[in-house]
Amino acid sequence: MSNMISIEDFSDPKAATPGVSKTTMLLMLLVAIGIGCGLYAFVIGHHHAYNNTREMPWGILIAGYAFFAIVSTGLCVLATVSHFMGGNPMSSLANRMVFLSIVTIIGGFSIIGVEIENPHRMLLYNMLSPNFTSNIWWMGTLYGMAVGFMFVEFFSILTARYKLAIGLGILGALAEIMANTNLGAVFATLSARPFWYGAQLPIYFLASAVLSGAAAIIMFTHFAYRIRGENMNSAVSEGIRSAGKVATLTLILIIVATSWRFISFFVGGTELGRVAAESFLSGPMAVNFWVFEITVGLIVPLALLLASKMKNPGLMTVAAIMILIGQFFQRYDLVVAGQMVPQYSGWDNLPTYFSYIPSFAEFMVTFGGFGIAGAGFLLGERFFGRVFMQSGHH
Amino acid sequence: MKIGNTKARKFFNLLLFSLVLLVFCSQASGQDEEDGGSIIFTKPVKAVIFEHSIHTEQGLECDSCHDGMFEMEAGVAEQNDDFTMASLYEGNYCGGCHDGDTAFASNTRCTACHIGVKGYERLTGGTKDSGGGH
Amino acid sequence: MKISDFEKLKNEGTEKLPSEERRRFLRFGLAVTGVFLGGSVLSLTSARNASGVQEKKSAAGKFPYKPHYTMVLRQNRCIDCERCMEACVRTNHVPSYGYRTTIMEQNRAAGDDRDPLFMPVLCNHCNRPPCVRVCPTTATYKDKETGIVMMDYKRCIGCKTCMAACPYNARYFNEETRAVDKCNFCFDTRLSKGKKLTACAEACPADVRIFGELTDENSEAYQLIHKPDRKVWVLRPETGAMPNVFYIND
Ligand code: HEC
Ligand code: HEC
Ligand code: HEC
Repeated sequence: MSNMISIEDFSDPKAATPGVSKTTMLLMLLVAIGIGCGLYAFVIGHHHAYNNTREMPWGILIAGYAFFAIVSTGLCVLATVSHFMGGNPMSSLANRMVFLSIVTIIGGFSIIGVEIENPHRMLLYNMLSPNFTSNIWWMGTLYGMAVGFMFVEFFSILTARYKLAIGLGILGALAEIMANTNLGAVFATLSARPFWYGAQLPIYFLASAVLSGAAAIIMFTHFAYRIRGENMNSAVSEGIRSAGKVATLTLILIIVATSWRFISFFVGGTELGRVAAESFLSGPMAVNFWVFEITVGLIVPLALLLASKMKNPGLMTVAAIMILIGQFFQRYDLVVAGQMVPQYSGWDNLPTYFSYIPSFAEFMVTFGGFGIAGAGFLLGERFFGRVFMQSGHH
Repeated sequence: MKIGNTKARKFFNLLLFSLVLLVFCSQASGQDEEDGGSIIFTKPVKAVIFEHSIHTEQGLECDSCHDGMFEMEAGVAEQNDDFTMASLYEGNYCGGCHDGDTAFASNTRCTACHIGVKGYERLTGGTKDSGGGH
Repeated sequence: MKISDFEKLKNEGTEKLPSEERRRFLRFGLAVTGVFLGGSVLSLTSARNASGVQEKKSAAGKFPYKPHYTMVLRQNRCIDCERCMEACVRTNHVPSYGYRTTIMEQNRAAGDDRDPLFMPVLCNHCNRPPCVRVCPTTATYKDKETGIVMMDYKRCIGCKTCMAACPYNARYFNEETRAVDKCNFCFDTRLSKGKKLTACAEACPADVRIFGELTDENSEAYQLIHKPDRKVWVLRPETGAMPNVFYIND
């Protein structure tokens, strides 16, 4: 690099208040505990640290990974759309979105890294003996590529190579979208699990990505200004308004999709799928579903967004946080319910539903993921704040 | 307790009655022991159940089995090498009656007699839970 | 679905079966003679029998593998003595927290524990194995020659997608090898050493587990499922996995 860049050019002392530092430390502690629990599980064996079983091999960690991966896709795609279409009001938020997309996918990777039993073998055999029919392989590879693209894209933004940044952004977004639909397909192509099986999930995951991305940028942007004690300028407010509109639209799409998804289980299909769906309506997942997914995650935020008329960033942030909580529950409920109905139901006095409650270590690893996202955000504001606060780079 | 009170006496009588009933009942169930009760064979395979009650309810006399066919001692038949299905099919042991004439044939309804390891664990209070696991 | 109910059902005829499903089973060399309860149990008979004299030639040539291994389970003869499970554990060093094969139990009617049903289950070595498709590192794969679904433990990253994908709960995670483990028809421990039967089939005293080759007309397994008018069913046919483990009665 001929023109030396220095971190001083980007860092923003206003985002380095004692309060921010303290919060960052706390979040880092969460990260450390999470990583500690993950390593502990790796060493003594997952069976002793996590509550997954033969019948329910996946739990909150897969859900947490999916949550962050989906947020990352949303942020990356929205960033690219607004970079690409320069005049887009959200372009004022785009640099922050690129950075946060990287941060959230790292959060996701950290979780999945201790969710799989042998990450060390993965590094080797993903390359030595790839399976091109495996959605897991594509998902991992594509998310990996996306991070690579975004790293270079972010560096290009720092060094003001905007043309290159836009190109890389498009590549990154394509990789993220393909990775995201492969993540959906990991579940959607398992005919053994009727609750997952079907063409709807991948598109549902993509819609969730746009929703989560919009919610995340509303929330993070709001906090970015809060920690500095500043008000958003008109360009940023415009960006937030657009993000709010995007969130509103996708909320409606997801409400529609969720309704039909559930109706479809009751008008036909297999018993296994129906029993799983029943767990949402009146079974063990009912509280998660009705309270967190539907009320907290969809209905109330929709009402709040409409009530805010996209002019009240505080109210919109409340809606955004609720959306993100709902999104997390959606991931969790989907993962758990797909495996909860015994495949040999009717034999061996198997219960109608297997029970799964995440272990302490699983919770800690998941919180660690949130720690990474939170600490990453604060560190980003501190060290790259000026890049984020400049409204768009066009 | 004061027994002078009529209410209390009524209660006491009831208590006494219940006690007598209880003793009587336990004796009645003790009859199971007398006729040999339920016997579970575990050799050569785990496990086959033989219930005296089912058979005596059919009006079978002790002699119809305990006159050369079976000893009045659990575990004797199991020591024999020929306590097998092949032998049953030839009309020995249970096969003497379970031949399709006197009672259902030994080559049908396998699980009427065979309760399996699962049935065995259940009856003997074992803790084998299958299906679930890691 | 209980087998006793199954026996009581009358044949609904093949016309109700989606043609796609029918064709799929025909590819096994088996013709579908009926479908029960929305297709959760299929009844099959030999293609040769169903299509009459023109197809007098054996269906054996149609199978993708040679030898094309299969296991036929004579379900109503199973007495849950669990010698198969013991033999499997001994032969393949299966730890106590896992199993490669097990026996499931079902009462014929709620609250009636007389004459229970026992059903042995194991890996179905599917022709279209969902586990193999989803494995990112080809740690589980379908052997090109025998069609056995095998594991290469050292490649297993422990993502457990195969466990989620298996319609038969045939897989468990083995802590010692840090890899998913499953039935491989005793390929490494017996078949490759010249033995003809799997450990479980050899140990079964009631002739429930008939291990054999679909490619061999003389094999007992072949004959059992090609006997005219015999009801043959597979587990979870709706998943499209095309299992190679068949169930019959007697
Ligand atoms: C249908 C056959 C049959 C009839 C009828 C029958 N038994 Fe038995 N009994 C057996 C068998 C079988 C055994 C076990 C023998 C063995 O294990 O070798 C047995 C064992 C016993 C035992 C030993 C139990 C123990 O725990 O050691 C006693 C006592 C006994 N019978 C008493 C009776 C009496 C009394 C009657 C008549 C009321 C009777 N049995 C009728 C078949 C019968
Ligand atoms: C003396 C004849 C006789 C002998 C010996 C005998 N049984 Fe029976 N058993 C009967 C008859 C009669 C019935 C009731 C009729 C029927 O169910 O066919 C019966 C019923 C049963 C049943 C009840 C099935 C049900 O309906 O639930 C079982 C189980 C059974 N026998 C097991 C055995 C076993 C095990 C042995 C050998 C240890 C044995 N029996 C020996 C005559 C015999
Ligand atoms: C009338 C009762 C009865 C019925 C019905 C019955 N069995 Fe048995 N079975 C026995 C007894 C008794 C033994 C010997 C005791 C033991 O092994 O626990 C035995 C032993 C066996 C054994 C081990 C010894 C051997 O012969 O190899 C097998 C295998 C077996 N039975 C299979 C079957 C099958 C399969 C069926 C159905 C086709 C069946 N049994 C039906 C009573 C019965």
